[in-house]
Amino acid sequence: MTEEARHFETELAVIGSGIAGFAASIFALNKNITTAQVGNTGAVAYTTGYLDLLGKIEGETGAVENPWESVKTLKNNCPNHPLSDISTNDIEEAFIQFTTFLGECGIAYSSPGKTNITALSPAGTLKKTLCLPSTMAPGPKAFAAQKPCVIVDFKGLKGFSGRQVVANLQDKWPNLRTERISFPDMTSGEIYPEVMARALEVEQTREKLAEAIKVVAEAVKVIGLPAVLGMHSPDFVRAELERLTGLEIFEIPTMPPSVPGIRLREMFEQVFPQKGLTLIPQQKVQSLTFKDNEVVLHIRDNYGPITIHAKAVILATGRFLSGGLEAHITGISEALLDLPVTQPEKREDWYLNQYTDVRGHAIHKAGIEVDSSFRPLGKDGKPYHQRLFGAGIILAHQDWIRSRSGAGIAIATAYKAVEAVDNFLHA
Amino acid sequence: MSDQKTPTINFKEKAMELLPEGASFEACLTCGLCSSGCPASGLENMDPRKFIRMAMLGMDEELSTTPWVWCCTQCKRCQHVCPMNIDISQLVFIARGNWPQEKKPAGIVRSCQLIRSTDSTSAMGLPPEDFVFVVDDVLKEVRETQSGFENLQAPMDKKGAHFFVNQNSREPMNEPDEMVPLWKIFDMVGADWTYSSKGWAAENFCMFSGDDDAWYQVIKTRVDAVHELDCKVWLNTECGHSYYTMWNAIAKFGMDVNFKLESLVTYYAQWIREGKLPVNSDWNVNNIKFTVQDPCMIVRKAYGDAIADDMRFVVKKLVGEENFIDMQPNRSANYCCGGGGGFLQAGMTEHRRAYGKRKFDQIAATKAAYVLTPCHNCHSQMEDIGHFYGGDYGVVHFWTLICLSLGILGENERTYLGPDLLALID
Ligand SMILES: Cc1cc2nc3c(=O)[nH]c(=O)nc-3n(C[C@H](O)[C@H](O)[C@H](O)COP(=O)(O)OP(=O)(O)OC[C@H]3O[C@@H](n4cnc5c(N)ncnc54)[C@H](O)[C@@H]3O)c2cc1C
Ligand code: SF4
Ligand code: SF4
Ligand code: SF4
Repeated sequence: MTEEARHFETELAVIGSGIAGFAASIFALNKNITTAQVGNTGAVAYTTGYLDLLGKIEGETGAVENPWESVKTLKNNCPNHPLSDISTNDIEEAFIQFTTFLGECGIAYSSPGKTNITALSPAGTLKKTLCLPSTMAPGPKAFAAQKPCVIVDFKGLKGFSGRQVVANLQDKWPNLRTERISFPDMTSGEIYPEVMARALEVEQTREKLAEAIKVVAEAVKVIGLPAVLGMHSPDFVRAELERLTGLEIFEIPTMPPSVPGIRLREMFEQVFPQKGLTLIPQQKVQSLTFKDNEVVLHIRDNYGPITIHAKAVILATGRFLSGGLEAHITGISEALLDLPVTQPEKREDWYLNQYTDVRGHAIHKAGIEVDSSFRPLGKDGKPYHQRLFGAGIILAHQDWIRSRSGAGIAIATAYKAVEAVDNFLHA
Repeated sequence: MSDQKTPTINFKEKAMELLPEGASFEACLTCGLCSSGCPASGLENMDPRKFIRMAMLGMDEELSTTPWVWCCTQCKRCQHVCPMNIDISQLVFIARGNWPQEKKPAGIVRSCQLIRSTDSTSAMGLPPEDFVFVVDDVLKEVRETQSGFENLQAPMDKKGAHFFVNQNSREPMNEPDEMVPLWKIFDMVGADWTYSSKGWAAENFCMFSGDDDAWYQVIKTRVDAVHELDCKVWLNTECGHSYYTMWNAIAKFGMDVNFKLESLVTYYAQWIREGKLPVNSDWNVNNIKFTVQDPCMIVRKAYGDAIADDMRFVVKKLVGEENFIDMQPNRSANYCCGGGGGFLQAGMTEHRRAYGKRKFDQIAATKAAYVLTPCHNCHSQMEDIGHFYGGDYGVVHFWTLICLSLGILGENERTYLGPDLLALID
C-alpha cells in the first residue's frame, strides 16, 4: 500500500499554535495573505485567558499600572527587549485586531484600555493585565466597587478553592464569602473544569446550576465562579445563568488545565478553516527546506506525509515547554533549524542559587535573535534566510513570566513579523 | 472464573520499546490536559495522566490488573490534546493483551473467537453460506416488491470488480433490510462492486482484546479475500473501527497489499460532487435539525479532518446548510461516544454510560433531532445513552438519509426514522 502525500501551497506558513502563532495567522488573514498554520497544543491551552502586556518592570518594585508608559521605559532599561523597538501604536493596534477577531468568533474580550486592569488570579491574589474575557470582566469591577460577593466552588473540583480566594482577599474585599456546592449530575470523584464547561452548554444543566446558586447567594447579588461557563459559547452561557438567577455572575480563572485556554484553541481550530486558512493542528513540523523561491515544510500525521510550500515562514515555536528550545548538557539549542541561541555562557549560570531570587534566572531570557524585520539571525550574525521570520516568546532578552508580558510579546511581535512578511511578499 | 493470575508487565520498559512512535512517556509534564479531556477519567479511579505517572513510577502490578483498561476506548483523544504527543492507548493495548484470556471481558473474547470460527470473519459467527443466502433472499424480495428495483444487483464473489465492499454482521444477522439502501446507492451511481463470501465482515474485536496474533489472522483472511477477487479498492462500510483495524494492521504488521483502502464517506462526497447522487434537502420542509458524530476511528485516528469535512459536505447537501448544527468539539477533537474499543461488548454497562455522558451533553447542546454517523458502534451507543439520559434524538445511517432524499427509501428501510421524518415521506 503506498501512502499518498498531501501538498499545500501558501504565501505564509506559521509554525506554532501558541498565542504568537494564532495571532500571526489573524494578522495575515486581515491582510489577505494566504496562510497555513501547523503546530500542536502549546501553552495556549494552559493560559488563564488574560492577555497581559506588561505587569512588571525589571529592577522596579510594584506592579505596572500604565503599561503604555512602562513599555517606553524598556528602551532604556532593556534595550534588547523585543517590545522595546515596537511603537505603542503598533502594540495597541495588534491588541485591537486580536481581541476584535476573538470577539467576532464568539469569545468576547475587553479592548485594550489606557491602564492595566487589576484582575483575580486562580488563588485570589491580584495581578495586572490588559485585556480579559468578557465572562471575567465583572469580577474586577465588583472588587473595585467592593460589592458584596459570594465565591462559589464545587465538590470534587481541584485547582480552584473558594476558601483560598477569600483568604487571600479578605483584607482587601471585606464583603466576600465562599460557598461550596455540587455540580449538577456530577457527584462522585474528581471533576474537571473542562467537563463542567461542556455540561453547561446544555440548557438543563444550566437550569439546575442556577437553582443551586440561588440557594447559596441568599441576599448577595454578585457571584464569582471558577471559569467553567461553557466552552463554545461562554458569553451566552453566562448571560443565561444571569437571566436564570437574576444575579451578576463572573468567572475567575482556575489552575491548568483550564477552560479559557481550551476555549481559544477550539475556537481557532473551528474558525480558521472556515476562513480559508489551512490548519494542521496537533502536528509538528519535522524539517524545513529552504529554496530560492520557496520554503518547504515537512510534516507527518496519522494518515501520512504532508508538505507545505510557502513563500515565507514565521517561526513561533515557543521555548522549552512547547519544544521551540531544547536544553542539553552542553547548552540550549533551537530545535528546528539549530539557530544560534543567546544564552548564559555556562550551564551553572542558568539559575541563581535561590529559585525565588527576585533578579530572575538567566535561562529565562534565552532565545533567538532577530533583526529589525524580525528575521532570525544565523550563526554568521546575518538573517538565516530572507524567507524566515520569527515571533513570540522564542525571542531572546525577555523573561515574560517575571514581567507578566506573555501575550503582549506574542501578539506584538507576531504583528511586526506579519508586517515584515507582507512587505517582503509584496515589495 | 479462573483464578489464573494476571502477569505483571514492566510498563516503563514496554514504553521505551514503543519509541519513537510512542513518544517519550518520560516527557509527560503532568499537565492533566489528557485527563481533563478524557471521558474515561475517574472510572475505576483511574485517568490517563495517572496511568502514565504510575507507569513511570513502576506501579506495574496495579496497572497490569486495573479493569480501567477496558474502559479506555483507545480513542486517542488524550494524544490529540497532549502537548508532548503522548499516546496512552498503546500502553492500554499492551495491558489488555496481558490479561489472561479467562479474565478478559467475556463479550470481547467471545466475539473474537466467533470471528475466527468461520471464513466470514464475522463476530456474530455467521458462516459464508448463510451470508450468501441472506443477501440473495433480501435481494429477491426487493426485486419483487419495490418498483424500479426489478434489476437491483448485489454481486457476490465477482472477480475483478472495482470495489470490494464489506458488511457489518449486524445487518445480515439482525436487520437485513438495512443492507438495501446501500445497494440502491451503488445502483444509482453505477458502481462496479462485489461482496465476498469470504472475509466479508467488517467488525474486528480481536484488536480490542489486545491479541496481536488474532488481529493479524483476521486481517490476513480479509486481505487474502480481496486479493482473490482481484479488486482495486476495499471499500469500508459505515463502520468506524473496521476501517481502522484493517488500515492500521496493514502498516503495523507490514502486510503487502495491492489494493487501496477507502471509506464510503469519501465516495458519498465524490458521487454527490460528480452529480451521480443527485441528493438535495428539498424534502426537509420542516427544517428538522441534524448533527453529525465523527467516529474517532476514521477521523482522529486515521484520515484526519479531511474526511470530517467530507462528512459535513454530505450532511449539508442532505439536510440543508441551515439545518446542520455541529457538535462541539468536533472533527479530530471530537469525543469518542464510548461505544468503541469493545466497550459495548464488555458488559460494563454502568461505566460505558458514564463515559457516554460527555457525548450525551454534546448532542443535547446542539438540540438536534437526529445524529448522523457512519459508524455502527457509535450508532448503538448514542441510541443507548439517549434512552438512558432521557434524550429525544434519533440516530441514522447516512445511507438511510441519502435514499430518503432521493425518494427511494423502501418501507422496511425506515427503522431509524422518527415520526417527524416518516411524516415527510408518507
Ligand atoms: C500556565 C501558563 C499560564 C499563562 N498565563 C498567561 C496569562 O495569564 N496571561 C498572559 O498574557 N500569558 C499567559 N501565559 C503565556 C502565554 O500563553 C504565552 O506567552 C504565549 O502563549 C507565548 O506564545 P508563543 O506562541 O510564543 O509560544 P507557545 O505558547 O509556547 O507556543 C509555541 C507553539 O509552537 C509549537 N511548536 C513547537 N515546535 C513546533 C514544531 N516543530 N512544529 C510545529 N509547531 C511547533 C508548540 O506546539 C506550540 O503550539 C501563560 C502560559 C502558561 C504556560
Ligand atoms: S496531556 Fe500529555 S503531558 Fe499532559 S499530563 Fe497528559 S500525557 Fe502528560
Ligand atoms: S484513548 Fe481515549 S479513552 Fe483512552 S485514555 Fe485516551 S482519551 Fe481516554
Ligand atoms: S464507537 Fe465510534 S466514536 Fe467510539 S471508538 Fe468507535 S468509532 Fe470511535
